[in-house]
Amino acid sequence: MAMIRNYLKIAWRNLRRNKVYSLINILGLSLGLSCAMLILLYVKDEVSFDMFHENVNNIYRVTQEKTINGKLHKNGNSGYLQGPRFKQNVAGIESFVRIQGGAEDIKKDGAIYSQKVLRVDSTFFSIFSFPLLEGNPKTCLKNPNSIIVSEDFAEKQFGRLNVYGETVMIRQDSIFTPFKVTAIAKNSPQNSSIQFDVLLPFKVSVEDANNDLNWYSYFLNTFVVLNPYSDKTDIEEQMQAFYEKDASGAFKSMIERYGGGQDATMGSYLLQPYSTLHLDTERPAQNGLSNAGNPMYSYILSGIALFVLIIACINFINLTIARSIKRAKEIGIRKVVGGDRKQLIIQFLGESFLLCFMAFAMAIIVVLLVLPVFNELSNKALSFSYLLDFRLILAYLGLFLFTALSAGFYPALVLSKYNPVEILYSRFNIGGKNYLQRFLVVLQFSLASFLIIATFTIYRQFNYLTNADLGYDDSNIISISKGYISKDKAKLFKNELLTDVNIVSVAPNNVGHLWTMAKLANEEEINFSYAVIDESYFPELKIPIVKGRNFSPDHPMDASKNIMVNQAFVEKANWENPIGQTVNFFYNQNEIYQVIGVIKDYHFLSLNQKIEPQLFTMISNISFDNFDIKIKPNSATQSLKHIEESFKKIFPLSPYSYVFKDDVNKEAYQAEAKWRKILLFGALLTIFISCIGLFGLTVLSSEKRTKEIGIRKVLGASVSDVMNILSLDFLKLVAIALAIAIPIAWMASNTWLENYPYRIDIGWKMFVITATLVVIIALITVAFQAIKTALANPINSLRNE
Amino acid sequence: MLLELKNIFKWVNSGGNRFYMLKDVNLKVEKGAFISVMGPSGSGKSTLLNVLGMIDTFDEGEYYFNGEPIHQLKGKMRSHLFKENIGFVFQAYHLIDELTVYENIETPLLYKKFKSSERKALVSDMLDRFNIVGKKDLFPAQLSGGQQQLVGVARALIGNPKLLLADEPTGNLNSKQGEEIMEIFKQLNQEGVTIVQVTHSEKNADYGTQIIELLDGRIINRK
Repeated sequence: MAMIRNYLKIAWRNLRRNKVYSLINILGLSLGLSCAMLILLYVKDEVSFDMFHENVNNIYRVTQEKTINGKLHKNGNSGYLQGPRFKQNVAGIESFVRIQGGAEDIKKDGAIYSQKVLRVDSTFFSIFSFPLLEGNPKTCLKNPNSIIVSEDFAEKQFGRLNVYGETVMIRQDSIFTPFKVTAIAKNSPQNSSIQFDVLLPFKVSVEDANNDLNWYSYFLNTFVVLNPYSDKTDIEEQMQAFYEKDASGAFKSMIERYGGGQDATMGSYLLQPYSTLHLDTERPAQNGLSNAGNPMYSYILSGIALFVLIIACINFINLTIARSIKRAKEIGIRKVVGGDRKQLIIQFLGESFLLCFMAFAMAIIVVLLVLPVFNELSNKALSFSYLLDFRLILAYLGLFLFTALSAGFYPALVLSKYNPVEILYSRFNIGGKNYLQRFLVVLQFSLASFLIIATFTIYRQFNYLTNADLGYDDSNIISISKGYISKDKAKLFKNELLTDVNIVSVAPNNVGHLWTMAKLANEEEINFSYAVIDESYFPELKIPIVKGRNFSPDHPMDASKNIMVNQAFVEKANWENPIGQTVNFFYNQNEIYQVIGVIKDYHFLSLNQKIEPQLFTMISNISFDNFDIKIKPNSATQSLKHIEESFKKIFPLSPYSYVFKDDVNKEAYQAEAKWRKILLFGALLTIFISCIGLFGLTVLSSEKRTKEIGIRKVLGASVSDVMNILSLDFLKLVAIALAIAIPIAWMASNTWLENYPYRIDIGWKMFVITATLVVIIALITVAFQAIKTALANPINSLRNE
Repeated sequence: MLLELKNIFKWVNSGGNRFYMLKDVNLKVEKGAFISVMGPSGSGKSTLLNVLGMIDTFDEGEYYFNGEPIHQLKGKMRSHLFKENIGFVFQAYHLIDELTVYENIETPLLYKKFKSSERKALVSDMLDRFNIVGKKDLFPAQLSGGQQQLVGVARALIGNPKLLLADEPTGNLNSKQGEEIMEIFKQLNQEGVTIVQVTHSEKNADYGTQIIELLDGRIINRK
């Protein structure tokens, strides 16, 4: 006991005596550990995604694969028929549930808002394990006018939780109909692919349920529960056989109607385990599924964090060893005054455990502090309590033991082995050339440089994307979305809007959402984006017309037979003189349209996508879905008020919402913004931890070379000479690191940028800046210790020899 | 007789040549003796002292301590014998910088697993004896060389050793401090502690009852 107090005393006094060292050492390790904790949280969350359903191992999604023109297409969606027909005709499928996402207009105190809902079959709660606060899971979805709400929704709509039996007014066509709350569900767990606030019973008309053509419309997700003793492959084969028989007629009429070429196949039905849904990158989460994870995020985050942890542990070990050389004398003395090796091992291991423990404690504090930031970066809602899991705690303990043992290993087992005579008479020399440590420094700095370059690249590309000329003017434009606006209503709304002086112009449109194909005069087919606009669209967005003319109400043919195209279309069609050329919508009764004007290409999609051929019409049988309203600068408040009033007047039953077009354009680059943050975070952390490692190495080296430096100084070396001796070694390592990192970073940046049709030039400046930055940071780190050593009086280091 | 060295050899091999650090050393140390080891630098004085103190090994020969054959003993027994019987004093004091005077003196008792009350009594005695009670809470860096060496001697003596080994104990001290230490040694010897010291100084050597002169690892003269 007394001995342990003695050890603790020594450990504590050593910590205090070397405050900077202790702080850096503990801080470095705790940063690494915090990173590890965060990945553990993240990975646990990713792994446990959707695993809370009791039946999860028997739940599968019905998916389809089809080879079209030699390319495999994977489809996770299905339609009305797959669920009920497979269940009825395939042995081993016990039940099914269809889930369809959508939005409904809901009334609250006279106001109308749009609410996301899921429409699900009544088997929903017997297949999935979403707990109910109130209500019967078996029957709550039976009545077609029932509604199941989440806690959040209950709070929002009623301001309380006990809303069982209350009614919610939901618009059905144009009438608000009462729906009765038959169950209140707990909020969907954050790690669930199915997220809902409102569930409504799934509706299918008798005609739809009996129409075989519905085999070929895909707009929802179908899940089936298999008998636990059945074989998945066997069931897939049964499904396929049944489908080929049941849908053969429908397939034939589909081919007749739409063509499809010689190699059209029926495709094959497969089952996808529910637990793999979350990390599936081939089939997007849609039609009622959300929270699709991107395993790339896991990999990159884990990579960064794991690397930081390893480097931090090794730094901790290196630094502890560096310090232990100073402690060699103490070890010698302790042996001479009667300490045996076992006691020394206990002391030094204990000390390392103490340090490690402090780092762990600090790591927990760090995790608590950075968790909100991390949640934002990783797009998660993790909480620390998540870590309180038996296996995680065990993993943690393992990590703790490993780090503490390896850091304490050298002083405890290696130094204690030395004969005290050798230590006390300064006859021993520690370590050889430290290749391992040098290698580590190179590794650390390579990674840090790589991340800095990557961060630069992504920053510059992001700036480019957000500041690039889109080819049109998106300033002062308010966009209002509203599905299926007829030409007449649009006109009415437009006129209403224009009564206010602040409204400069109004352009109803339907741009960028529809894609189709048509035949050119030479029978060649062309794919393009099909946009419905009116004559104000191009002037409002300041899109130049390079050939021909704009649409005009003065030309009656413009609303029926005339079209405009963009330059990309002209190029694709290979027209020398585009005006007067014709386009044949062959599957639409061979309608022929004539080109009257060509506009300059503009980025109607985000800059992440190439400008595709675009075709504009004013044809009235297709409805608008958006209004772009140009307002006078600095008139947003008055304009918005007028816009809202006009909207309520023309569309009294529709939910109203608006966005500014330039905001929307910026939001298109959220993924880039997120990567930018992650990389910045990673780069800062790695450079910091690398510097800690470098610092440790300088301490070690200058301590080893104290005598040499003393002699050099006595022989006349100046402070700067000594600095050079100490720094040059490390700068060489940093130079090697840069030589490794730059080509790799260059290749990686190029590969990444290839994803963008519109991108920056990498250039050489970025590399020069990075190299300078890294060298300066390394130099500062090294100089700190080098100056200390260089300034020390040589007498002190040469005495006692 | 406290200990006896018979035909002790110690060497290092370097580049095919063998350099002898001790060459055929024979030495008997009676209980209560005070031996001074002299000789030029590199003659093997410190090596001899370390071999006597069992903190260094030898390559050939026999070493009996209190009748026990040290050359045949295992590490554990040897360290036990060492712990119980031998105290060391160094030229460079070799105190633990992070411990106070009190704690430095106490350390050997901790390794010997003394009870707290016993330790307190013994350390207090020692502080009294060397007149350093007022310094007990200071750290080595706050003491003069002479005071540090006093602590070093106190630490060596706290375990009540039969043999005190001192490697140039006054080498880093001024003459007055040196004299003080030597007076203490003399007194200890009169109280029955066997002492072997290494010294360069004839004057200090004269405090002892016997002088051994070493040259190139051999004993060339005994007085």
